[in-house]
Amino acid sequence: MPTLESSGVAEISDLASKADCLPDFTTDQYKDAYSRINAIVIEGEKEAHDNYVAIGGLMPDKADELKKLAVMELRHMKGFTACGKNLGVVADMDFAQKFFAPLHGNFQKALKEEKLTTCFLIQAILIEAFAISAYHVYIRVADPFAKKITEGVVKDEYLHLNYGQEWLKANLGTCKEELFKANKENLPLIKSMLDQVADDAESLQMDKEELMEEFMIAYQDSLLEMGLDSREIARMALAAIV
Amino acid sequence: MFGLIGHSTSFDDAKQKAMDLGYDHIAKGDLDVWCSAPPQLVEHVNVVSAIGKKIEGAYIDSCFVPEMLGRFKTARRKVLNAMELAQKKGINITALGGFTSIIFENFNLLQNKQVRNTTLDWERFTTGNTHTAWVICRQLELNAPLIGINPKKATVAVVGATGDIGSAVCRWLVERTGVKEVLLVARQQQPLIELQNSLNGGKILPMEEALPLADVVIWVASLPKNLEIDTSNLHKPCLMIDGGYPKNLNEKFNGLGIHVLKGGIVEFFADIGWNMMELAAMEKPQRQMFACFAEAMLLEFEECHTNFSWGRNNITLEKMDFIGEASLRHGFSVLGLKPNLQVAIA
Repeated sequence: MPTLESSGVAEISDLASKADCLPDFTTDQYKDAYSRINAIVIEGEKEAHDNYVAIGGLMPDKADELKKLAVMELRHMKGFTACGKNLGVVADMDFAQKFFAPLHGNFQKALKEEKLTTCFLIQAILIEAFAISAYHVYIRVADPFAKKITEGVVKDEYLHLNYGQEWLKANLGTCKEELFKANKENLPLIKSMLDQVADDAESLQMDKEELMEEFMIAYQDSLLEMGLDSREIARMALAAIV
Repeated sequence: MFGLIGHSTSFDDAKQKAMDLGYDHIAKGDLDVWCSAPPQLVEHVNVVSAIGKKIEGAYIDSCFVPEMLGRFKTARRKVLNAMELAQKKGINITALGGFTSIIFENFNLLQNKQVRNTTLDWERFTTGNTHTAWVICRQLELNAPLIGINPKKATVAVVGATGDIGSAVCRWLVERTGVKEVLLVARQQQPLIELQNSLNGGKILPMEEALPLADVVIWVASLPKNLEIDTSNLHKPCLMIDGGYPKNLNEKFNGLGIHVLKGGIVEFFADIGWNMMELAAMEKPQRQMFACFAEAMLLEFEECHTNFSWGRNNITLEKMDFIGEASLRHGFSVLGLKPNLQVAIA
């Protein structure tokens, strides 16, 4: 295509280098925000562990596989705890538990009703896609120690997402309606969780817009892999904005 | 498989198109929603060339709209995410259309090779600039005579002469077309001097001095919105080839004796069963397209899976010959002045 400096492009190209600076990890503002973001990550990994073990309770023949996934989550939790300590930050676990409460409640309800589709959607798809997207964005602006830890974690999280995705794909013929319903109830929670941490994430130089986009990419990819068509995905994604 | 990465010409058009395609969630969203929207592979297409070669392609909308140009990070993400999607889909050669290549170049995205788990393979992408440059030159050679201008006796101003397309066009005009004189217009002096040295010819002039001297003006720079030009000083007839993006010359210049031609557009010999060129406001969306898009198709037709047009000032006359010959062989022709205009002149 024709390329030459349109004035709009030329003006903002100067911003490129400025936008790529890492944050100052030592400021009070950074550490204060990190105390909540770090807690969310630690709590998220802990709940993921518990959730995979719980799903294993509904699928005895898969319990061992799920236990393995769960153990990985505990390892992640320890890694992220070390990230907080490395920066001299105490994670605000009370905040994190409240943060996860609505999603946690929905998962527990589905578990009681033995709704495997909903359980997988919440833990293996929504939460994992949320984690993957946040980790991808974080890696670009993390301190060197946390960057290394997070890079290791994100690879594992794809395995988890894939596990749930494969189960849903294999059962898509019978689970579609429940999937749509679970999406409608839980995707808005992801959106509101993102809204709640937007300011803290900004302090870590993680844009809300970028987080949302990364999440939608991971979520959309996963739904496509399951075998949903683009109109069905569009219908599901609508729940995120209304 | 070839790929095209494109985008809508405005936010309003984009919303309308998304609604038509059934992407209601994006269509109903505000600009922030669009900034967070993933790229979409919206269309698959099969194309058979004039010599019977069959290829398959895909159109990816990056969900970028020009209103995002002020948001550096957003624009960068849109381009990289669309490129990642093209690569993940296994597309061999993808053209970066519209603002995509401009953003890639101006924001120096070469340093962003890693997108999540994907290491972008630049060999799979082309700016399409070689074909665009060739098409613009051919548009001059074929259309100038129609309005009474002999290319070999013509003075041609190239506005944006030091850009990737501009410099290739200058080289062709000097060495192949053999125009009387090329006037080199660009904002920065140093690249202009270097270009002049490499061309062994050409005259460096500011725009206001170059335009009144020119029989043909080739625009390969985007025009500032507030640019005012006194058309009474221009040659009549004058051929203006609008090779910039977006194409906005018509409203400024079209008038008696000044003929504006959309530059860098080609027409395929048969209808292509796609919808996406309507987005680019082509007059015949089933056949016409940007030459840069056609370059990806040509490289696929020729099974030449390489980043044929890449970086700045790498376009050689030999490459223009190669892509030009392929263009003709597979059934493309360059967009010309409207037939009714030609009749009126005759």
